[in-house]
Amino acid sequence: MKKWLFNPFTYIAGAQALAIGWGIMIVTSIICFFTKTHFDGVLDLHYSANQAPFWMHLVEPLIDWVILTITIYGAGLAFSKSSIRMIDVAGTISLARWPMLFAALIGFFIHVPAKMQTLQDIQNAFTASMIFFSILELVFNIWMVALFYNAFSVSCNLKGSKSAWIFVAAIILSEIFSKTIYFLLSKQLN
Amino acid sequence: MQKNLPHICPSCSSVLMVKSLVCEHCQTEVSGLFSMPILAGFTAKEQDFIIEFVKSSGSLKVMAQKLGLSYPTVRNLLDDLIQKIETTQANSKTNLK
Repeated sequence: MKKWLFNPFTYIAGAQALAIGWGIMIVTSIICFFTKTHFDGVLDLHYSANQAPFWMHLVEPLIDWVILTITIYGAGLAFSKSSIRMIDVAGTISLARWPMLFAALIGFFIHVPAKMQTLQDIQNAFTASMIFFSILELVFNIWMVALFYNAFSVSCNLKGSKSAWIFVAAIILSEIFSKTIYFLLSKQLN
Repeated sequence: MQKNLPHICPSCSSVLMVKSLVCEHCQTEVSGLFSMPILAGFTAKEQDFIIEFVKSSGSLKVMAQKLGLSYPTVRNLLDDLIQKIETTQANSKTNLK
């Protein structure tokens, strides 16, 4: 059970993982549209008060997945001695995003006020349930990062402390890349 | 009961060598100092993996299906074995010198 929760890639990878991962990503995008949840960064998740078009909810996880796949694959090519396959990296990374399905569902329980201008607005927004669900969302985010690491480790055959440092560097790089893309995208849209 | 062939010295952890071989049929004994084949140094699980790999004509995809594991997992197991073989070969070369 633990293996399936944290390292399903021992059993599923490649095209099969990609198909399942994409399927879950589409379902997650639909939920995100209704819960106004945004994945504006490889690790980021934000609940919004404003309704965005559906295509935006569909494109966001796609951008995150493409960037992380390229970064992880690049790291694998640079540091792994194995003959790694792009399809394994792409598949395992897409499947590793599946905890975001639950994180998106949390959006049904979080109410973000339309205006957060005064200190009083911020104080009103931070209710006990808001804090509880924010912590719960963080748990799903940590779970996703653990899955990302195992996806990287299995698909690139990298283990040990050196692999952890390579992974951290790849995550930071992909976060910077994704944030830059979202910044440029928002400039184009506004 | 299936006995496992020991390949590491329990006293000093060095690689063991074969001192004598006996014919089960006529009890003729051959004495000497022979190196063990590389594969004898592997665990039973690793030896089974190698046998299955050969029987699968070296196809990782077939191996993955047989073992119920993903393709990269099987490739990683094979790479670990390659690494182990290379290390063993390097160690035996060093010992010969």
